Amino acid sequence: MKEILSIRGLSKSYKNVKAIRNLDLQISEGQAYGILGPNGSGKTTTLSIVTGIIRQDGGHFQWFGEDPEASQRKTIGSLIETPHFYPYLNLEKNLRIICDIKGMPYGDIGRVLETAQLAERKRSRFSTLSLGMKQRLGIAAALLGDPRVLVLDEPTNGLDPEGIAEVREIVLQQVQEGKTLILASHILSEVEKICNHVAILKKGELIANGPVKELLSEEEIIEISCNNNEELREKLKHSALVKEIETENGLLVLTLNEKIGPAEINSFAFSNSLVVHHMLSRKRSLESQFLELVKEE
Amino acid sequence: MRRLLHIEQIKLLNYNPFRIALGIYVLAFTLGLVIYPAVDKEIPVISLSDLFRFPDVWVFLTWVTEPYNILLALVVIMITTKEFNNHTFKTQLVFGLSRTELLLQKLLLVMVLALFATLLLGITSLSLGLIYSYKITFKIALENTWILGRYLVSSIAYMSMALLLALLIKNTALSLLTFLAMRVFVDPVLFLILRKHEIRWYLPMRTTTRLTPLPDLIEIFQRKMNSPEPIDESALDILPEGLSPWLNIFLVLLYTSLAIFFSYRLMQRRRFT
Repeated sequence: MKEILSIRGLSKSYKNVKAIRNLDLQISEGQAYGILGPNGSGKTTTLSIVTGIIRQDGGHFQWFGEDPEASQRKTIGSLIETPHFYPYLNLEKNLRIICDIKGMPYGDIGRVLETAQLAERKRSRFSTLSLGMKQRLGIAAALLGDPRVLVLDEPTNGLDPEGIAEVREIVLQQVQEGKTLILASHILSEVEKICNHVAILKKGELIANGPVKELLSEEEIIEISCNNNEELREKLKHSALVKEIETENGLLVLTLNEKIGPAEINSFAFSNSLVVHHMLSRKRSLESQFLELVKEE
Repeated sequence: MRRLLHIEQIKLLNYNPFRIALGIYVLAFTLGLVIYPAVDKEIPVISLSDLFRFPDVWVFLTWVTEPYNILLALVVIMITTKEFNNHTFKTQLVFGLSRTELLLQKLLLVMVLALFATLLLGITSLSLGLIYSYKITFKIALENTWILGRYLVSSIAYMSMALLLALLIKNTALSLLTFLAMRVFVDPVLFLILRKHEIRWYLPMRTTTRLTPLPDLIEIFQRKMNSPEPIDESALDILPEGLSPWLNIFLVLLYTSLAIFFSYRLMQRRRFT
């Protein structure tokens, strides 16, 4: 898979607050990558740096395997925080400015306004839009020119439930079309619904990073090791206890079926005369960790 | 370049305050054509229309319209600080303009406004000259048109300083106040305080206003009266003081370059939120 964005050792401070510290992230083509964390965890700072709005204090990042340059941003559709446009210009003229910046013809404006369900308002001034419409225009602008990468920072922030559903629908469609998505959010369920990969930030530090189904899924994932892993693997395969078995660093990683817990696995091993000497429930620890850090705010 | 200009064009031509400011500017210029002759009838001995003849009209009108540059500078401040207020510098960055291009955009605006102002001055002077001159030859008509070049330089200088202030202060009202204070208060007061020192001629606003000096009125009226004995100007203590014109121009260009350089530095370092 081709590398889209790679961040190495990135850090940024505002006066005496460390917004992000020594952050590493790799995002590959076709991933729907969620950056999850509470307010103030450094999500927006990270995305602001990679979209050129602010400069980092240390570390570096690369887009498409090359050092950052303004022209790369023309092939990326971004929405960072609330969208800002010229309040006295109508939607069409605002998007014309974006087309001019990206050096593309105006032909695509109709399509993106249609996608964002704003076609009827194209002659309205930006200042007359509701918050939800402004947000959708921000997404429309990000979609101009059909970019291969979308960078969205809290795209559903401040929207009503209907608006949230609409925006999610648009974003999901883009993911299904194979676009690479980088989505920052503080809402666990949003990342779960849209993304296939997630990085969790806390106070500017990366605390977890991996596939969504592993980190955030409802299913329980258990690391286990016993005196004979091979035998346990074979036995479990034919039992009704687990959905999936993988081997990682000499440990068995089990995805459990519903209503099955560590106790059932342990007694199953014991009844087969296998002695478990390592067992760890991954999901629980991470989810509680996430909830804990959300609670702190 | 054309792309950047086109972006500015969409932004500005649809922006009412800009259209109004530009309208006032053009009106102020062209009103002169109507008002000056009307004023003239009320002063019996000295006729203002003498100043509207070739080749003096170029220098005189340049001097008269020099303060209009303040309006242009205010327009630049208004447009630039608006980008901060609307957070649209950030939007343009995110969608692919570089920080250098953001500055270039505004410098292009400065250039276009300066060329527009100079063109307007040229047309106005030419019209008045054609109306009021008794004898028009090509040579007399075009004498002194060099002053238009100096007007262009002073226009660019004012607007570059205004741009720097706008990028530095970001707030519309504060930037406008600072610029006006520098032009009408700080610079003149410093000029008075430093009256014993040569350095007073080096103040940025002073050097810029001196690019377009008051024409030599005595000489003009003398010529009219065909006075056989030239008046001893030194006795009147109005001999032109200050720096030589070339040093003056050099200083203005230096200040303009510095303003652009510091604007560039600010643009590169600003955090656009």
